[in-house]
Amino acid sequence: MSSWLDYTINGLIVGNVYALVAVGLALIFGVSRLINFAQGSIYLVGAYIGWVAVVQLHTPLPLTIIVVAAAAAIVGLIIERFGLRPLQNSVRIAPLLATIGISFVLDQLVMLTFSPNPRALPSQLPDVRFQVGGGTIGPLDLLIAGVGLTSALLLFVFLRYSKLGWAVRAASQDRDAAMQMGVDVNRVNQAVFGIAAALGGVSGMLVGMYYNQIDTAMSLQATLKGVVAEVVGGAGNVPGAVIGSLLLGLVESYGVAVFGTSYRNLFAFLLLVVVLVLRPNGLFASARQAPPEPLTGTFIAPSRPVRIPWWALAVAAAGFAVLPLFPVSFYVLQTLINAWLLGMLALSLTLVAGTMGQVSLGHAALLAIGAYTSALLSLTLNVPVGLAVIGGGLMSAALGTLLISPSFRLRGHYVSIATLAIGEIVSLVILNWESVTRGPIGISGIPPLSVFGYDLISPTSIYWFSFAVMVVLALLQGRLLTSHLGRSFRAIRDDDIAARAYGLSLNRYKSLAFIFGGFAAGISGGIAAHLYSYINHETFNTQQSILALTVVILGGLGNVVGAMLGAVALVGLPEVFRIAAEYRILIYGIVLLLLVRFRPQGLLGTM
Amino acid sequence: MSNIDRRTLVKGSLAAMMAGAAVSRGAFADTSEPILLGVSGPLTGPNAQYGTQWKQGFDLALDEIMAAGGINGRKLAYQFEDSQSDPRQSVAIAQKFVSNPAIVLELGDFSSPASMAASPIYQRGGLVQFGFTNSHPDFTKGGDFMWSTSVSQADEQPLLAAYAVKRLGLKKLAVLHLNTDWGRTSRDYFVKAAKEYGAEIAVTEGYIAEERDFRSTLVRVRDANPDGLILISYYSDGALIARQARQVGLKQVMCAASSVYSPKFIELGGEAVEDVHVGTRYFPEDTRPEVQKFIAGFKKKYNGQEPDAFNAYAYDAMNMAAAVVKIGGTDRKAIRDAFTKVKDVPSVIFGTATFDIATRRVKGAMNAELVVRKGQFALWDGKPT
Repeated sequence: MSSWLDYTINGLIVGNVYALVAVGLALIFGVSRLINFAQGSIYLVGAYIGWVAVVQLHTPLPLTIIVVAAAAAIVGLIIERFGLRPLQNSVRIAPLLATIGISFVLDQLVMLTFSPNPRALPSQLPDVRFQVGGGTIGPLDLLIAGVGLTSALLLFVFLRYSKLGWAVRAASQDRDAAMQMGVDVNRVNQAVFGIAAALGGVSGMLVGMYYNQIDTAMSLQATLKGVVAEVVGGAGNVPGAVIGSLLLGLVESYGVAVFGTSYRNLFAFLLLVVVLVLRPNGLFASARQAPPEPLTGTFIAPSRPVRIPWWALAVAAAGFAVLPLFPVSFYVLQTLINAWLLGMLALSLTLVAGTMGQVSLGHAALLAIGAYTSALLSLTLNVPVGLAVIGGGLMSAALGTLLISPSFRLRGHYVSIATLAIGEIVSLVILNWESVTRGPIGISGIPPLSVFGYDLISPTSIYWFSFAVMVVLALLQGRLLTSHLGRSFRAIRDDDIAARAYGLSLNRYKSLAFIFGGFAAGISGGIAAHLYSYINHETFNTQQSILALTVVILGGLGNVVGAMLGAVALVGLPEVFRIAAEYRILIYGIVLLLLVRFRPQGLLGTM
Repeated sequence: MSNIDRRTLVKGSLAAMMAGAAVSRGAFADTSEPILLGVSGPLTGPNAQYGTQWKQGFDLALDEIMAAGGINGRKLAYQFEDSQSDPRQSVAIAQKFVSNPAIVLELGDFSSPASMAASPIYQRGGLVQFGFTNSHPDFTKGGDFMWSTSVSQADEQPLLAAYAVKRLGLKKLAVLHLNTDWGRTSRDYFVKAAKEYGAEIAVTEGYIAEERDFRSTLVRVRDANPDGLILISYYSDGALIARQARQVGLKQVMCAASSVYSPKFIELGGEAVEDVHVGTRYFPEDTRPEVQKFIAGFKKKYNGQEPDAFNAYAYDAMNMAAAVVKIGGTDRKAIRDAFTKVKDVPSVIFGTATFDIATRRVKGAMNAELVVRKGQFALWDGKPT
């Protein structure tokens, strides 16, 4: 029985660590309704500033904390002023993409300055341990708990009793009304970003000290766990974020206790999905609280799409179709094959996210389902590859829709978070379901593509095949959008209450969109599996989901041509920037930010 | 020509200019162009640290190769393309290398998904993919252009098991392993060997690479009541586990795979890694000349920094590539055939390396039984800890 006490204590200790990130995320979400993907990067920056202070400047702990908080706050203010404020009157999804771009840039800057090698960040507290249960806790555990709880408490008091706090809450409830009442909304945003960033920076430093280790890969994980904890507690609810974090820590710890270490994150994400489905506003949302998203309209604002005449599209398609007849290198063709595969994924996502308004952050899971289905069908059941790929598409459509269906009742950001979790769950199931997926060893020796008995091995034939598949899917989707189905999808996106009043069944149309989208994504994954010949649970990861969303927003939400254009751009740019070597991802991030800044509605506009 | 080391290029062109003054114009044109190797590996993204370690190992080996006169007078250089360990990018890089006639041999990638996705392209393009960290048992099955000097886990894990069970006398083991293809394969070989030597496996726990908190895992380990912990980890997660094991009060003997062998393991683990046993392929006081040359050269080139396992793999790989190119010349097929002919190449990891033509891997990794004493890796003196 004493073990259960230990599992409980360990859960609380790690929950403590999550709380530090979650509080910052909650604060920003509370005011600007934005999941700040750059929060993990600020955490990273804080950890490295802490390293400079401790190891190079030998500052004492209180001074270290002040230095880190101040420096991180400045970073936060810069992000707010130059990254997000210019976007405040544009599409509501643009800031989300901007924070992704900012996190690229910050992570790369840290990596280039400090090298990607992990570093030790020694704790400056005395090394005494207190016996609790079977294990021990140290002063750093207490400090982290202290910082987490005090900051949550201070923020709570600040929001409830100070004048600026009232302004923050007013701005979060209704920005325009707050402005009319004379609240300087920009100042409010500045205050919030400064506080959240200071907190994020200090938490990165404390966690670095806790593990005596900092490295540049820590930012994405911190963001993921922070988002989960925050949403469990109720997005935007600061004390809720702390409790959500502790709960997350406990669930993970008990999950390890009962099922073993490799199931740990599975429980974290299952918790999230269950909470979202049962209590979409989080565990601690009060009944009186205004719903987190507006009841009418969505955060996908319509814009005037760029009209491209059909003949221009036909010329472009013909140009790409005859490209292999010219002396272009296989490298260019391979890059374009990647673009066509990403294009299929983007078509799928632009349908569900753009046309339907269900912004998915777990789309790579559909790739994975398609890829594994196709690979296993062709390897173990000897199904011909062409049919296996279609099987992958069908499985992805069916399973994907089934998995996503619990989140149909969610709106806005909550859909994104739920799909993010579902994506992680799929990846973890693949890792753990060894009898079928072969677990971490992965599937090797997947046969190459073949159609009607002809093997497609040369880059040229794969190029034509993948291009043709993408064009067919795009034409089908174009046809779909002009039918009554497309109109119904858009009606639900723009105003789901009005759509329901007209008798549209939301669940049925959402299912239809995911079935079509799942099929396209599954086909893309299936082709990729046969192209790579080897896949494992890491082949289709969270980064791919984020990339797909970036493509879709860049091309213009719901825009079929935009999805393909965005895919070519985002596959092509990192290749073009290869001459910049280590700097290429940094440049890519900056270009992305500039695009969001000047074309927030996407290159070709929302449809 | 993005990533050819600038210093090597400058040095090489200086050497070429001097050579040009001495020999005729025709010969000059021939020797001024370096023989180019392609490297596909992570320089950014979550595995970026390993790419930078590769570079250090490569650059040291290239310096020595140049000092010894290059490849029959010609310079050897490499073009490093960043793949972020992402299969989408590694396949594009593969086409880039295959369609560039100047590239005679490819090294990498780092992770199995990235490497093995690119294998069909290298195989069909007839360019050798020399994966020197690819321990996945199926890597060299991709075709006769896939060769690897990665220590086979079928070789390494029985050595570690012998250290833990026979030499340290551990009878009941808890195995913690990275839940990747490498960690999983290693675990299976380790468990098999340890059982053969008469030990009992109390519990095995696989964790994902991003994991940082192991306290609950360690409670499971404690409840299984083992007398030793086996870490099949890299140095950063290995150090985390060791620290947290001591924090939750586990006092058992710990024994780790060679992949933790890095000064970073001690830096990150601090006092917690004291007395951790590590089965490695070489050690600093090793009297073998290739080891002494490697360590002395590395410290001199990188301001006293101690080399680690990944530096050594990359250093060995570059030396092997040079030996192969010396035999095979610049023809890709001849280079493939040269892998079957190359014999007894001096190697930090293997002593001397010769490929087994059937498996396209090298057998017979060296073995050193180390222990961390006073913040240093030292040869284990046989005393219990």
